Formats: sequence, C-alpha cells, structure tokens
Amino acid sequence: MNDNIIEITGLVKTFRDFWFRPLAAALKGIDLQVAKGDVFGLLGPNGSGKSTTIKIVLGLLKPTAGKVSLFGLPPRDRRARARLGYLPELSYLHPFLTARETVRYYAGLSGLDRRTAHVRTDQLLEQMGLAANSNRAVGGFSKGMARKVAFAAALVAKPELLVLDEPTSGLDPLATRDVKELIRSLAADGMTVLVTSHQLFDMQDVCSRVTILSQGQVVGGGTVADIVAKSADPRHALEDYFAASVQA
Amino acid sequence: MRRFLALARTAAVESLAEPLTAVLFLSGLATVHLAPVFHYHQFGEAGRLARECGFSALLVFGLIFATAAALHTIGRELESGTAAATLALAVPRSLFFVAKVTGVLAALSLFAAAVACATALSQGNSAIASLLQSEHGEGTQSWGPGLACGVGFTLVAFALAAAANRFWRMRFCLSACLLLALGQPFALLLAWVTGIGLPASFVGFGPLFARLLPPFVVLLVGCSVFVALAGALATRLKGAPATAIVALAIVASFVRPIRFLLPDINHFWLVDRLAGGAVLPWSEACPAFGAGLLLIILWLLTGALLLSRREIS
Repeated sequence: MNDNIIEITGLVKTFRDFWFRPLAAALKGIDLQVAKGDVFGLLGPNGSGKSTTIKIVLGLLKPTAGKVSLFGLPPRDRRARARLGYLPELSYLHPFLTARETVRYYAGLSGLDRRTAHVRTDQLLEQMGLAANSNRAVGGFSKGMARKVAFAAALVAKPELLVLDEPTSGLDPLATRDVKELIRSLAADGMTVLVTSHQLFDMQDVCSRVTILSQGQVVGGGTVADIVAKSADPRHALEDYFAASVQA
Repeated sequence: MRRFLALARTAAVESLAEPLTAVLFLSGLATVHLAPVFHYHQFGEAGRLARECGFSALLVFGLIFATAAALHTIGRELESGTAAATLALAVPRSLFFVAKVTGVLAALSLFAAAVACATALSQGNSAIASLLQSEHGEGTQSWGPGLACGVGFTLVAFALAAAANRFWRMRFCLSACLLLALGQPFALLLAWVTGIGLPASFVGFGPLFARLLPPFVVLLVGCSVFVALAGALATRLKGAPATAIVALAIVASFVRPIRFLLPDINHFWLVDRLAGGAVLPWSEACPAFGAGLLLIILWLLTGALLLSRREIS
C-alpha cells in the first residue's frame, strides 16, 4: 500500500510569454514524495521553484511535463483538494471582511454546514487569540494578525494535508514561535504538512524531512534527524547542509 | 450550493463596501429625487423628466458601478492572490466565476430596485407639483410629502451608517449602500400611505411603481450583460485593457451593436414606451428580457471557459 500523500515524478514547468515562447524554466524534472504524517520542508533560494511546485500540487498551475498526484488523484480533482488546507505566501484576505466572516467564508468554501462552521470558527479564533478582534475588518490588521486569520481559514475544515507557503515570513519572533508551536501540535495530531520557508532554523525545528531545490532541480534532501546526526555543528546543521547543497 | 452562496455573498459585500459604490448610490438617488424641483421642464408630460432621470441613473451609474465591481471583484482577486487561496480548495473554477458575477449582479439589482422606488416617488412628486400648479397657479412650491420622504430617507441613511460605524464599527460604505437602498421602498411606502390631501386626479405612487417595473427589469438585464462581459474579460486581462474594452462595448451597443455578442441598448431602453400614460405589457418586455438573459449566459460560459484554462500564479 502506497502511503504517499503527494507524489511528483519528472516534474517540468516552463513559463511561456504571450506568444507561447519559453520565458523561464522554473522546474527541470524534479521527483519528490510526501508521506502521510510528514512535516515536509521544501527549501531553496529565491527562484528555485518552491512556490511553483506548490502551485502545481494545488492545481493552480499546469505542469509542462511529468506526473503529479495528490492523495492518488490528479491535483485538479476536487476530491483531492477537498482534503487540503492552504496558507499562501502572503495572507491574501478580503480586506472588507471581518476575521469571523473570513474564517466562515472559507468554512463555506470547504462545504461545512452552518452549525459546524460557526463552532469551528469560534474555536479557531479563540485558539489563535483573535476572539477579541473577531469583528474587525482584516484590512486593518497587522501582518501577524492577518497571518493568524489565514491560518485559521486554512485549518477550518480540519484538512488531512496542510500546505504552508512561507508561514513565518514577516512575523516577529513571538509570532514565529507561535506558528512553530502550532505546526508541531498539528503534526502531533497526525496532520501531514508541506511547508516552504527561507527560515532554516525554524525549519530544522519543525520538519521531519526536507528537500532542497536550486534552479528548478532537487540538489539535496533527507530526514532532518540524519542531517543533524551527520553535522559537525548540530545547531546549524540544516543551514550548513543547505549551503553545501546549493553551492555544490 | 454552500460554496456558491459563500462566494456570491462575499462578492456582493465587496462590491457594496467600495467607497465608489456609496458615491454612485448617493449620486444616482439624489439625481432622481431632485428631478421634481425642475418642474418647469416636463417635456409635455408631468413626471417624464423624473422618469427619464430614473432610467438614466440606472443606465449610467448602474453601468459604471457594475462594470467597476465586476472588474474589481474578479480581476483584483486573481491579481492579489485571494483567488488562488480559494481555487486551491475544492472550488470548481466555473462555480467561482459564476458565483462572483452573481454576487455583483445581486448588488446591481439592489441599486436598480432602489432607483425604481426613487423614480416612482419622484415621478409622483412631479405629477403632484404639476397638478397643484394647474389648480393654484404659478409659484406653487409644494411637491407633496414625497420629496421630503425621498431626500430625508437618503440623508438619514448616511447619518445612520456614520453612527453604526462610530458606535458598532460597522463598515461605513456597506452600511450606507444597504440603508440607502432599503430606505427607498420605505420612503415610497410612507409617501403612499400618508398621501392624504393629494389632488383627486393623482393616480397614486403604487400604480406608478407597477408601471415602471417592466422597463426597469429589462434595462437591468441589459446592464447585467456588461457585468458578465466585464467579468469574462477580467479573467484574462488586467484592469486598464479590460475597462477600455468594456467601455468600447458600451459605446458599440448604442451605436453599432454586434448581434449575438452585445445587446442593442435601443431595445432595452424602453422609457419612450411609457409616454402619454402608456403601459409596457410584460408580453413585450419578456422577449427583450430573454434576449438579455441569453447574452448573460453566453458571457458567463465564456468567462468560465477562460478561467478554467488560465494558470493562476
């Protein structure tokens, strides 16, 4: 039995311009698997293809070549996407909606019934420390608060797979610590997490496995435990491994 | 259905929460309500100026509001990333597009209903002014209770929205638009109910509203075609080129409409059919309504197809 939630084989993505001429080769044949229960870190420098990979997994972009499966189904299959939650790189929220309306909106999009949506929304707003501000429009929120609202929206339908694109980007140290705690607790509850980030210290803290991309290719990867075990400086293990892989 | 409703409701709220919408609602309704003041210009029929102001308000302000809202709601969502966050979930792209356009159409319908009520009230006020003038001579300055109702409810809506924003942090523009729209039927009803002492020959506000309804519905459908067109263009084009194409399409629909693609606005502008006390029967309004509906469906299908093939980065 295959336990992989995400399977990517020979994935190629070439962006084209208006006249269909090749513009940029974002991915040049990558393979990766995310197993059930993993906290999987997709790491790489800017322009390495992390966000493109995530968008193909989410069915937002079409691969030029290669095979991608999500829960054993094509990424654009609704049955597959019904089982995931997504936190985009920036907290894209409707500025006119309040925090409560935003989470209920995503609950509605996930098909939750009215009663469940209300209960889950209240639970998550409380859990994220947003209950006191739940009736304020999110357009006036700080970046950290907006991130929390986006997190609540991603979690409202209790997804089996959570896709996090730069979850700690732009957050202060306390908010970053809260996010890491949250990822750990979700993983402890058995949720599979696919996360991208430039914050290697944070990734070392939360990920069980990582893959490193550079210029659209996989240049390294493995379990974080192995990487730490083989490192001369365990505190900076992932950072050293990342630098060695990218510069090789 | 829940997904559809969630998307449509958000699109409607976003459309109404825009400051431009509040300005257009206020401008449109004020134009209609103040028409009876110019009671010397009746174009041969009491209330005709008010009626034409009402239809023009829906056509001009409605078109600006609807196309801006459609381009904004769909185009900005695609550019800002909220669409990516939505379409990453189990939301079919066709459902997303149709629901978003439906939300904008709901907001436009609210505006149309408010303008229709304001027009009935304003046309009645003009007729009353004309009757009183013929009975009491020149210099009569009374337009009945209707003008006070219409203008009063419009101003009170803004005051209430400001109070709701001050004390309950409710969104000002959204509250103002909703209160403005909801205030108009109340103003009409109040003028109708309290119309004691009106000239005996005045037909009444209720029959006026019933007479205005068929051409208003037809014109609303005509405007709605441009909402669907603007939405379809917004799936592929950025704001400026999409706006330019919609503007050209609006001009073309007056001057040289393209059959089966753009509505001939002349077929949807039925205000002349009401001249001389005539009534537009539903049997004549329905074919124009149906033609508009077919064009809306055409552009909805086109938009859904364009979005389904688009890469969302």
